[in-house]
This record gives sequence, structure tokens and C-alpha cells, in this order.
Amino acid sequence: MNMNKERFFDLAMKVIARQSTDAERADLDAMLASQPDLRAEFARLEADARVAKDALPLMDAMAATAGELPAYARGRLQTKVRQTLGRPAVEKQPDRSFAWGLRWWLGLAAATAAVMLLVLPIFHAPNAPMIQLAMLESGGTRGSATDEVALLKQTWQTTVVHSFSDAEALRVWETSPADERKQPTIKIIYDATAGEVRVLGRWKEKPLDKTFLVERDLATTLKLVKDYVAEQTKR
Amino acid sequence: MVNPPDLRALQQGDETAWDAAFGWLWPTVFAVAQLKLHPFLPNEVEDMAIEALEELVSKVRSVKSVEELKPLSASIAHHRAVSLLRERFAQKRGAGKTESLDVPADDRETKHEPALEDSPLDSLAEKELAARLQKSLAELKPPQGEILSDFFLHGLRYEEIAKKRGMAVGSVGVYLKRGLEAMRRIWGRDENS
Repeated sequence: MNMNKERFFDLAMKVIARQSTDAERADLDAMLASQPDLRAEFARLEADARVAKDALPLMDAMAATAGELPAYARGRLQTKVRQTLGRPAVEKQPDRSFAWGLRWWLGLAAATAAVMLLVLPIFHAPNAPMIQLAMLESGGTRGSATDEVALLKQTWQTTVVHSFSDAEALRVWETSPADERKQPTIKIIYDATAGEVRVLGRWKEKPLDKTFLVERDLATTLKLVKDYVAEQTKR
Repeated sequence: MVNPPDLRALQQGDETAWDAAFGWLWPTVFAVAQLKLHPFLPNEVEDMAIEALEELVSKVRSVKSVEELKPLSASIAHHRAVSLLRERFAQKRGAGKTESLDVPADDRETKHEPALEDSPLDSLAEKELAARLQKSLAELKPPQGEILSDFFLHGLRYEEIAKKRGMAVGSVGVYLKRGLEAMRRIWGRDENS
């Protein structure tokens, strides 16, 4: 760059980035006044700077490596994969010479299925967990606590909400193992003091442990919790 | 996950390949969603990032090389976030106005609504934006990209950049100029790519 162009570029950059002193701003104005062709170049530099400011963060984002996909999102995304792309195609077609064998196996499979239909209810595995609800009251007005209990009951269509006014008592309830011989149990705890809803439990050997902050209102958060539990425990 | 996923397996709907791809792409979509939404709709960031990955699934069969995946996911997340902000702020104002959503980094904390100018990136189609991002990454030679970021995103002065990068103050302007010229070639309106 020659000296004049170099000076113009540096001044333009400082003005565009709002880093210029009054004297530098005045220098640039004087250059623009005495060399009108520089005005177009200044406008182009402003446009380039705008693009750089908008594009550079996206480029940085492409290099990001921090953060992990939340566990609850995995199921939702895999459902999308199955719905959109289906299952991977089978590479090889069965040999026609084995058609009779295939028919024999299909017959056997049908018979087995019929037997299983009769037998399965005996060993029936639960298809939904038992939900246990608890609440730690914040010490606010009695009416608001009653409303919150009602909201919990309504969300899970249940009549029992274990209510605690002591955090230690809640902790004991929360950490005591549930009797899961008949049905897996998921505990949902609304901690009004902390302003959060905790989900704890296990479904098909997979642990559930997630905390939802009550950011907007309790009803909205409970809906998110319900969706999360449904997503985690579907089949 | 460090290695890119197998594109063919993704296009065939292989769940294991997708599991790996989601983990690989998550930091990118989350960073873009956070960049656009965090100042205005912080509660929507995670959901938006998941939706961007869902959209990527439906577009994967049109992707030709695995290198396109990150730029495309960044582009999808960007456009979805911009649309969401437009929708929310149009509703808020009740007049259906469209507005630009980019907040200058130095003003971000004091603004409560998106700024008024449109970003030049918003008018590009998803694939076009993705292609230009990919090209920018390839063409900005080190340390041009870093110096552009130091100056425009982090607000460092020439002297501070020179000290940080261990170079003469006079070189900072040269790298800035070359970097901006590269950006103009890639993003300029007369671009034919």
C-alpha cells in the first residue's frame, strides 16, 4: 500500500470500528473532502466490515467443539431420522431357490407369534413408569402452594403429591430407593424454594436425572417436564 | 467426536452414524443459536439448535460432501433463528414489520430488541450462505481471520492486536486489508458462486 492509501485505510478502519480519535476522524473527513473517489471506497469498506462482523461469528461457530447434545434430544432426532430417511436398505435380495425355506420360516414365525400373544400378558413388562410427585414449599402464601399442588396433580392426573416444608425431609424421600419390583418409578420434585423441577429415576436401565428451571411459569415448566418424561419413556 | 461422519451412512438413515453426526454438529448449531437468540430469547436456544439438526436430517440427501455438513447446519440454524426473532418481534409490535436481528457486539448488553438494519447474510438462501461460509474458511489464510475477529468482533486496537499476535503494528493493517478483500471477493454482490 502506498502511504496515502495506507493512511486512508487505517483511518477508515478506525472510524468504522469506532476506535478513532477526534483528530483521526477529522483527518479522514479532510481526505474524503479532497478526494471524492475515496467516498465510494469508504462505503465499500463499511459494507465489507458489516459482512465480516456478521459472517465471522458463524465461521467461529463452525470451529466450536464445546458442548454435548442433551440426552433428551437424541430420541427426538433419531425419530426424525427414521421418519425422514427410513431404515437402511437391505443390501442383498434373498435367493429365489430358498423361497420354499422362506415360506417354511414364515409359517413358523406366524405360529410363534400366536403363541407369544397368548403367553406375553403373563410376563407383561410395564409400558409406562409410575410417577411419584413431591413438592418443597417455599414458605410463601398458602394459596399459591395449593395452586401449585393442583397444577402438579392435574399435569399427571394423579391424586397424591408428597408435600414437604423441610428440605432435609425431601432429600430423604428423594434419595430413598423406590420399590420397582412391579413397576419402574420416576420421581418428579417441584422445589419451589430453588425454583426448579427435578426428574429422577430409571427407565429400561437408562437413568433419568434432569433439572428444569421454572423460568416463565410453573405450568410451562411442568409441560416441558411431562414432554421430557414421555420422550424418555416411550417404548 | 473428532472425525466427520460417513455421509453415505447418514443418507441411508444409519442410526449409529447419525448419533455420531449429531454429537459432531451440536457445538456448531448450538453456538449459532446462542449467538443469534441469547440476547433476546435465551430460553429458545437449545430447542432451536435441535430443530436445526432436524432440518439438516431432511436435507442430507442433497449434500454432496461431508465438508458441507457443518456450514449447512450453521446456515440452517442462522436462518431459523432469524425467522424466529422476526416472528416474535413482529408479534410484539403487532404490525408485521420485518427487522434485522444483528446487534453490534459492543451494544449487545444494552439492547432489548434487534437492530433495524438487515444483515447481508439474511438474504442468502441456506445453501448459498453455507457455500460462502465454507469458502471463507478455506480462503482466509491465517492469521487474516483471527485478525479480522480481533478487530471487528473483539474491538481490539491495532497496537493490541500487534502485541497479541507478535507482529509489527504496520502489519495489522495489511492483514486487515487482505482479509477484507477476501471477504469482498466471497461475499460481494457481484459474486458469481
